[in-house]
Amino acid sequence: MTDMRLADEASGDESARVASWRLLLGNPVTTISAVVLVGIVVVALTARRIAPYGTNKIDVADALQPPTGAHWFGTDELGRDIFSRVLLAAHASLQIALASVAFAFVVGVTIGVISGYRGGLLDAVLMRVVDVMFAFPVLLLALAIVAILAPGSATTILAIGIVYTPIFARVARASTLSVRVEPFVAVSRTLGTGHLYILGRHILPNIAGPVIVQTSVSLAFAILSEAALSFLGLGIQPPEPSWGRMLFDAQGFVQRAWWMGVFPGAAIFATVLAFNLLGDGLRDVLDPKQRTMIEARRQR
Amino acid sequence: MRRPKVLVGIGLVIAITLTACSTGERVDLGNESSHNLIAAIAGEPDQLDPHKTSAYFSFEVLENVYDTLVEPDENLEMRPALAESWEVSGDQLTWTFHVRQGVTFHDGSPFSADDVVYSYKRIIDQKLSNADRFRAVTDVTAPDKSTVKITVAQPTPNLLSNIGGFKGMAIVQRKNVESGEIATHPIGTGPFAFRSAKSGDSITLAANKNYWGGPPLISGVTFRFIPEASTALSALQAGEIDWTDSIPTQRVEELKTDDSINLGVTPSNDYWYLALNEARKPWNDVRVRRAIAFGIDRHAIVQATSYGTATANQLAIPKGSPWYTEYHGYTLDIAKAKSLLHEAGVKDLTIDMTATSQYPETVTAAQIIADNLAALDITVKIRSMDFAAWLDGENAGNFDMLMMGWLGNIDPDDFYYAQQHTGGKSNAQKYSNPDVDGLLDAARAETNRDARAGLYARAATIVADEASYIYLYNPSVIQAWSKSLAGYQARPDRAIRFRTAALN
Amino acid sequence: MKTFFTSSIVRFLARRLLYSLVVLLGVLIVAFSLVHLVPGDPVRIALGTRYSPDAYQTLRAASGLDRPIVEQFLGYIGSALTGDLGVSFRNGDPVTLTLLDRLPATLSLAVVGIVIALLISVPAGIWAALREGRISDAVVRISSQFGVSIPDFWMGLLLIALFASTLGWLPTSGYQALSDNPAGWLRHVILPGLTVGLVAGAIMTRYIRSALLDVASMGYVRTARSKGLPPWVVTLRHIVRNALIPVLTITGIQLATILGGVIVVEVVFAWPGIGRLVYTAVAARDYPLIQGAVLLIAVLFLLVNLVVDVLYAVVDPRIRLS
Repeated sequence: MTDMRLADEASGDESARVASWRLLLGNPVTTISAVVLVGIVVVALTARRIAPYGTNKIDVADALQPPTGAHWFGTDELGRDIFSRVLLAAHASLQIALASVAFAFVVGVTIGVISGYRGGLLDAVLMRVVDVMFAFPVLLLALAIVAILAPGSATTILAIGIVYTPIFARVARASTLSVRVEPFVAVSRTLGTGHLYILGRHILPNIAGPVIVQTSVSLAFAILSEAALSFLGLGIQPPEPSWGRMLFDAQGFVQRAWWMGVFPGAAIFATVLAFNLLGDGLRDVLDPKQRTMIEARRQR
Repeated sequence: MRRPKVLVGIGLVIAITLTACSTGERVDLGNESSHNLIAAIAGEPDQLDPHKTSAYFSFEVLENVYDTLVEPDENLEMRPALAESWEVSGDQLTWTFHVRQGVTFHDGSPFSADDVVYSYKRIIDQKLSNADRFRAVTDVTAPDKSTVKITVAQPTPNLLSNIGGFKGMAIVQRKNVESGEIATHPIGTGPFAFRSAKSGDSITLAANKNYWGGPPLISGVTFRFIPEASTALSALQAGEIDWTDSIPTQRVEELKTDDSINLGVTPSNDYWYLALNEARKPWNDVRVRRAIAFGIDRHAIVQATSYGTATANQLAIPKGSPWYTEYHGYTLDIAKAKSLLHEAGVKDLTIDMTATSQYPETVTAAQIIADNLAALDITVKIRSMDFAAWLDGENAGNFDMLMMGWLGNIDPDDFYYAQQHTGGKSNAQKYSNPDVDGLLDAARAETNRDARAGLYARAATIVADEASYIYLYNPSVIQAWSKSLAGYQARPDRAIRFRTAALN
Repeated sequence: MKTFFTSSIVRFLARRLLYSLVVLLGVLIVAFSLVHLVPGDPVRIALGTRYSPDAYQTLRAASGLDRPIVEQFLGYIGSALTGDLGVSFRNGDPVTLTLLDRLPATLSLAVVGIVIALLISVPAGIWAALREGRISDAVVRISSQFGVSIPDFWMGLLLIALFASTLGWLPTSGYQALSDNPAGWLRHVILPGLTVGLVAGAIMTRYIRSALLDVASMGYVRTARSKGLPPWVVTLRHIVRNALIPVLTITGIQLATILGGVIVVEVVFAWPGIGRLVYTAVAARDYPLIQGAVLLIAVLFLLVNLVVDVLYAVVDPRIRLS
């Protein structure tokens, strides 16, 4: 009986996956976001090669030029090409966002899965710890962490990672709980299947959906948080370019050089928006409840 | 339903009020004449004890609360303040000051020569911030209530500027000090009395009607702390404040054509410099330091930090000063820099340069310098931090190179002694040259003006040749005030005096 | 019947309160540890160039850092309960007074922001839920995503550039207390309030929309429809009345979030609130002030969430019994 059940799952998975892709790509907004994101990632990876000028090619005589053919986004107060800096900053921002979300993912999902799977006192204690972390607004806690350690890229990654861990823990735990109560898990246990096997084979694939959605959303907010910290002068330090820091520098030139603030801000906006819309699209596909509704609507 | 109606109602109120906006409401302090001047400064004073603070923000306020025995006029010549007149003995070793009569502190208690003695002894005995300025003084006494006698160990031509250059040597009230209130509730003899302070927001002073120089024409001054230069400026243009010195240099061009405000751009006695830490190798090698001096693009640095408002200078004393010395020892010469480095036998250096967010010019210049020195295969790592941390780093010698400025210099001794003399109080770069020491010490006691000028010229030239400080420029004092503010002018020593200001 | 509900509310309240106290203890531990996690000596670092053996001893004793850690923690809880949050490392002012001084400005901003957010999100959320699946729904969904994704400091700068610098209609910064000058207060609070409100509004629109969709899929709406009532009656009476709960919830949550999240907006607009205070405290490494602010905001956060949960339970019996 168990074997047949597993076989059913296997074929069911296959058609489910095809249907998922179709659903995902069927949504034009999601597709566009995904394409934009891929573009941003490509830019970030190749920035050093494709940027027309270097990171810090200073030419004070050429300072504060408006957008022209030579400088698509204009130049800043030191004569640096803003287009190049926006491209190079993509690398820095994405790197920090990925690193911090990776931290939050690994730590948070581990806590959440263990908590949800074991239950009992461990669950209660871990979840109270998570609740305590939720009691602090994101940027405030990040600032406090930066205050303790010195400002800089490493601290930023740690601060954002710590602050985003609770949400991953909660999402992972909720999904784990819903899978754990499934009958086949109990059956597997009575048959003597090891915990690790159950975790790997049943739990993790099933929590993948909501966790992936959360990853996309958290990446969006990690970029915003890093930009905010850099804007406050506490994140990425000069001369390393960063979108947030470029906005900080642009503050003094709002009248004289509007392009200094508009383009980096737009870059942040576009990236965050793309991650958020992608997350929305993924949620439509991967969140079972929503998905039933969409499919139901389609069949009408 | 009630809910939407309430919301719509609020929306209407907002809309109506928006359309009825005017050009600025002034916050009324409830004074009778309601002529309260609102000045925006870029930061909050750390404390208000003039003998202990060294923050410029504190002195912007304290300039109006306290007096010194003598003070600089518009041309930075020392003139009477609390002292009406003075004589110097024939041997130049005794100065006798006759203090003004009928002066009172803000709490009504009378001022006398005893207060001068108390103030100076406090600075000297407790070795407070400006004790060094009394270095030559052997004794301060008050033979009677209206006379102060200062004896010095050697002729001290700059005694007047030492005791009156700025309010760090202000005459304080004993009771105010002993109660500990001076740091938060200072009591002085100046044109304005401390009234209240709101942490993180403002400090308010009220006019001292019994001021010996005549009552102020305004009822009070409120110093608001607005660290963001552009917001301070916009507030000025909107009429919400009357005065600010928080002006980003890139705005000066457009502000010159702004008819709604008065813009004051005055050459100052400040100077900005780069210093290499000679306690660390290889910066102790003069060839390496000179190489760096030849490797930087001064023109770009001056342009990017001041937008044409500063004057490049390879020595400290500015062009308009009678003590000015010409010096053009350095140019941007990469070839020469490279050969110097080669001679010194160093290559592929790394410089840990500290900058501070409180002075954005340091961050700007650091980036230009990093770009310049890359041509010499020198990697500059910029460490930017808040000012307090920066000061700590400087004091601990935790840097390879830094950029900073000194302000409030009047006498040539102010420009050079503390920074270039071996063991000088401000000699963080640990420069030591016995020839320079000899020149500076002699100049302190030289009463002949021309001879004195010559000594400083020689000392400054050696200092620049050896790149102890790599002098960059003299900035301008840039302040802006509203058209309705009269009787105020920007001063080259950056002292902010509102005692003759009037609001129309 | 009445005693049944009362006792269930009481039991719920008790459980919820106990839970809050546990979390509060955790918050106190975190806030307390901030000073102790600093690598190096926090008093030394904070004094910096103002260091003198005297000042060091005084500050250290005043902050209680010379006592054993458990005693410090208990002392910290004790004083925190009486409202004493220590003294600032920078100027020796009592932290509590400084925080309370700055609270009205932040509250002004938060309230104005929430009002603007409600003005946007309630109509938009309802509209989108009604038009679910259609183009207008997609438009609302996507524009709310725009609002969520836009960096608030960028929006603030753009608003300043447009309305203050270019058009000169509104001031670029500063704050006037409502009690001093209502018109001035309004003029100063508009731009920062808009910045806060637009972003919060976007978040709340999404929440209200999805909460309403949940309601719409609930059985009793279908029942009402099948009873033959005209659709607009169903809309007004059933859906909107049930939307009150999620609107209340998200308003509470957003209010609490804004209290901690206004830091950047306060910096952009030079708004003298708690957010900007934290920012300058971080720059000055004024740990007691940072601790105090973090504690205050977390406590406010907890309080608001508690109130929201209780209201939620009072209105919706199903929550109580779970």
